[in-house]
Amino acid sequence: MLYNKIISIYTELSEKDFNPFTGTIRLQNDSDGRGDYIKEWNHPTLPKPTDEELA
Amino acid sequence: MASVISAGTSSGTALNMTADTSGQLQLATGASATTAITIDTSQNVAFAKGFTVGATAAPAFSAYQTTGTSLSAGTTTKVLFDTKQFDTNSNFASSRFTPTVAGYYQMNACVFVSGTVSVLLTILNASNGASRSGSLTNIAGQGQSASMVSSVMYFNGSTDYVEIYVYSSNALTTLNGQYTYFNGCFLRSA
Repeated sequence: MLYNKIISIYTELSEKDFNPFTGTIRLQNDSDGRGDYIKEWNHPTLPKPTDEELA
Repeated sequence: MASVISAGTSSGTALNMTADTSGQLQLATGASATTAITIDTSQNVAFAKGFTVGATAAPAFSAYQTTGTSLSAGTTTKVLFDTKQFDTNSNFASSRFTPTVAGYYQMNACVFVSGTVSVLLTILNASNGASRSGSLTNIAGQGQSASMVSSVMYFNGSTDYVEIYVYSSNALTTLNGQYTYFNGCFLRSA
């Protein structure tokens, strides 16, 4: 699961960072078979994980 | 064109009628015979001041789930509604409502899950940016949670659409049947 992978990379992140109204990171799933993906990454200090880190 | 019955302001033309073969009927008033009411061949009635009556002219739909949607933790997921109860203007497809009549619509949705969660947000995700979010209710003693959203939204009648997304703090599956639904109806034209 993408959320768990990101949390394992950045242990300082919490669920609040992913909330669509209060967080800076948005994960989305369009229920089209393509799975979870990073819709927005606007965290002020942490860089967006690379595909290699998420693999 | 249309067959027209008009009420004029001159004594010689106080009531005037013109006919054609379009099957439409218009009622007009005033010195310039301004159209007030139009009735089309499907008996839809449109009032020039912004109110429309009729199945085609006033779309309404209602849909629900027969198969639950899997939600990942910390993720905003599109909710699927695979069963339609009604769809008067064929504007609901692929869990997306795209009304072909411009105007204001009342939209409602509820997502129900088994389990109590800290965050469950049902979102009317509108393509025109006018998205709205609902609130969470944990149902004490039942181990269930629900998030409902209700809003009046404007659609342009061509490209604007709305889908239901839900954000969950926990990995869950939505409850199907009567619990998770999406419906809406036309209120008035712009």
